[in-house]
Amino acid sequence: MTTNDPQGSAIRSSRTPVAIAAFFVVVIILMTIALFNAPTMGGPRVMATASTYLAEVRRTALPFLGAVALLSIVLGLVAARTIYREWPHPRRRHNLIMGYLFLSPYLLITLTFTVGVVLFAFYISFNNYDIFTPPEWTGLDNYAKAFRGFTNPAEKDFLQSLHNVLWYSLIVVPTQTALAILLAVLLNARIRFKQLFRTIFYAPSVTSSVVITLIFMWFYLKTGYINFFIAKSLGIFGLSWENINWLGDPRGLIQLIVEAFGGRIPSAQWYLRGPSIAWMAIMFQNIFTTAPTFMIMFLAALQDINPTLYEAASIDGANAWQQFRKITLPLLRPIILLVVVLGTIGTLQVFDQVYLATSGGPLGTSLTPVYIVFREALGILGPINMGYASALAFILALLIFFFTFLQRRFIERGTELY
Amino acid sequence: MKSLAKLFTLMFISVLLLVACAPATEAPTEMPATEAPATEMPATEMPATEAPATGAATGSCPLPAEEGATIVFSGWGDETEQQIYRDSIERFGNVCPGVTVEYQPVPDKFQDKLKAQMAGGTAPDVFYVDDQLMNAFAPSGQLLALDEYMTQAGVSREDFIPALLTIFTQDGQTYGLPKDWGTLGLVYLPEAFQAAGVDEPTEAWTWEDMRTAAKAIADTGQYGGFCMGADWARFAPFVFSNGGSFASDDFTTATLDTPEVKEMATFVGDMYSEGSLVKPADVGASWCGEAIGKKLVGMTTEGGWMVNFMKQSYADVEWKALQIPNGPVTRADVIFTNAIGVNAATQYPNAAAAFAIYLTGEENQGEIVKTGFAYSTHPAQADLVVDPNDLAISSGGLLEDTRVAFWGPNTGKVNDAVSQALDRIFLGDQTVDEAFAQAQAEAQAALGSQ
Repeated sequence: MTTNDPQGSAIRSSRTPVAIAAFFVVVIILMTIALFNAPTMGGPRVMATASTYLAEVRRTALPFLGAVALLSIVLGLVAARTIYREWPHPRRRHNLIMGYLFLSPYLLITLTFTVGVVLFAFYISFNNYDIFTPPEWTGLDNYAKAFRGFTNPAEKDFLQSLHNVLWYSLIVVPTQTALAILLAVLLNARIRFKQLFRTIFYAPSVTSSVVITLIFMWFYLKTGYINFFIAKSLGIFGLSWENINWLGDPRGLIQLIVEAFGGRIPSAQWYLRGPSIAWMAIMFQNIFTTAPTFMIMFLAALQDINPTLYEAASIDGANAWQQFRKITLPLLRPIILLVVVLGTIGTLQVFDQVYLATSGGPLGTSLTPVYIVFREALGILGPINMGYASALAFILALLIFFFTFLQRRFIERGTELY
Repeated sequence: MKSLAKLFTLMFISVLLLVACAPATEAPTEMPATEAPATEMPATEMPATEAPATGAATGSCPLPAEEGATIVFSGWGDETEQQIYRDSIERFGNVCPGVTVEYQPVPDKFQDKLKAQMAGGTAPDVFYVDDQLMNAFAPSGQLLALDEYMTQAGVSREDFIPALLTIFTQDGQTYGLPKDWGTLGLVYLPEAFQAAGVDEPTEAWTWEDMRTAAKAIADTGQYGGFCMGADWARFAPFVFSNGGSFASDDFTTATLDTPEVKEMATFVGDMYSEGSLVKPADVGASWCGEAIGKKLVGMTTEGGWMVNFMKQSYADVEWKALQIPNGPVTRADVIFTNAIGVNAATQYPNAAAAFAIYLTGEENQGEIVKTGFAYSTHPAQADLVVDPNDLAISSGGLLEDTRVAFWGPNTGKVNDAVSQALDRIFLGDQTVDEAFAQAQAEAQAALGSQ
């Protein structure tokens, strides 16, 4: 394409109306999406005609639409400004318009069903909303309520859930990463029946976590296989074993250690007790299922490492451990970052094991933020509290963002050296 | 080399499969048996199917229904329960021939699904209502107040067992008609009493008598004494029979730190530490009914569901049941109940209300009670319960001081606080005073937030 454009001046003068049009297109699209995502009731009566739906919107959703209108005006101005700047340059103008045209089918769907819903949840997190009556603005109450446990121990649920998932990440992420590297290195070595072992090791990851949880629930029974196995093994050495109800035991790790030395941590100081036996039982199960998934990633990365590096190192007299420390680990760093970040996100969001196996018990030692979001959003123990649930979800999202940011800074900085 | 490896993989997988199949036939006795009773229920054995819907419909339609009304009815329940309601719909069809009822059972996650449907405006016209749904729907006006329809149909609130309506009443209006109920009775294993050489329970028993016998049974070493989990529902009869409650009658104040509650918590806590009370997990059962079936404990408190459970899973185990024992102050039991409610947005309020009134009316309840599936919600039909054990258990529900453990919108949180307090006491984690001071604070925080 040439820059020699005979109509350049005509376009230059038409950029103002185009920018205005762009502004209105963006505002109209966003407002339409907001209209679809408004906190209304649905159903045949409401959805019968456009006017009945609009009447319902007027009844329940005007503040929400107002909030989105402000946002869409800002975004519309940004769009208008961009168009105004790009319009005189035919090539950039062409790219801009074609780019967004090609993107538009996917963009509209994402805006409606993802961005729109997130916006809705964000708005709802400042409201009291039972999904039937119009949302009621309460400001930051929901966010304050999440942390009220600091002053009133009777409302400790969310704090306890944060405490639980932090322990969970702290134990599960390093263990499963180390285990995955170990498995990958073993399977990358020249051994017989490599495929066989790969199949066996990977099996837990392809099995549904619901199925695995159910099987583990049986293993963990007080009269289950794990107690049976430990008792029999210890029996060989003449030791006795008192059966533990693994998924029902709220005693914490630190608590057990302190009690072994004759100390005591009272129930009011639950945050000093460490992860409970029930919680560690779930951790063990999680490590068992996710380590092989990450093993596959490490295996792929290992096969990318240039074998001549090892050759050169062995000629220089490096032993296997030195080769692992100085060649394998440094070259795996980008994958380690990925696995640690994915692992942290996954562990902070742990839900299905809790939902199936413990429902947050015993004594709240397996409560997780996502389980509380579920409980409040569906009104399992009390009234439906969609606003509070949304607020908790955003607090969790911020927390995940924060940890991912930290990890990127610390692990990625190291990779630049190599 | 590669094909050899593949061959080995195949062989290994087939070995795995064989191993996976084997334990079913040669499981050693020490292996944990963990069958879920619900999945094994053979629907065909149930008396419900043997008693077809009687064509001898005596009544007429409770209300003049709209022309050509079609209503959708939904509830939870396994195959047995679904058959009972299919029969009920057939009987309703005989008295109100103009109304078509479409039955949409939702066996799992009924409450979650119904809340989503209600928010989306696609909820059924008539559906089961429990305390959770009542709290979600009634305050926001999603349920139809049935009082006018009841008057028109000649049905009165006094026709029902009084305790049942507590949950479904708000601001003096009735939002659900009790469809069935359950309560707890003293369930015991006669052979455990023989082994311990103590007399079997009598109607005159008090909790103290229960404790003495439980201690004797536990001392045999063969059986656990009294089975009870850290569960608010099992603890409620103790509290109610001591004149206590979990919350005040207006649901604004928690009453968990009162002497009435703490005395009984001390009672069960002491039983646990002396070894006469065991949790089901302690003896290797998932619930106390199973512990009776497996002959692991001498006594427990369970409800009418024991009858079918024992018939299906432990038919050869002899067991008996009596009314709940006497408490220090009175004799009182806890009652569990669900209702039939009508969607306020229904197109056919008359037909829907007529169906709800018919389902819970004496005629239909009389048929259901004959199947042994549930008790009638009408006091006059109390003696229709077929099984003698079931009859004994159900008699506790009609005691004057028997009540539901319902404390308003935050019932779940209050009850959960009680369960957790019991758990801490059983663990030896807290004293009774500490545990119930904490439960009081938690319950009060929940009640105060409303």
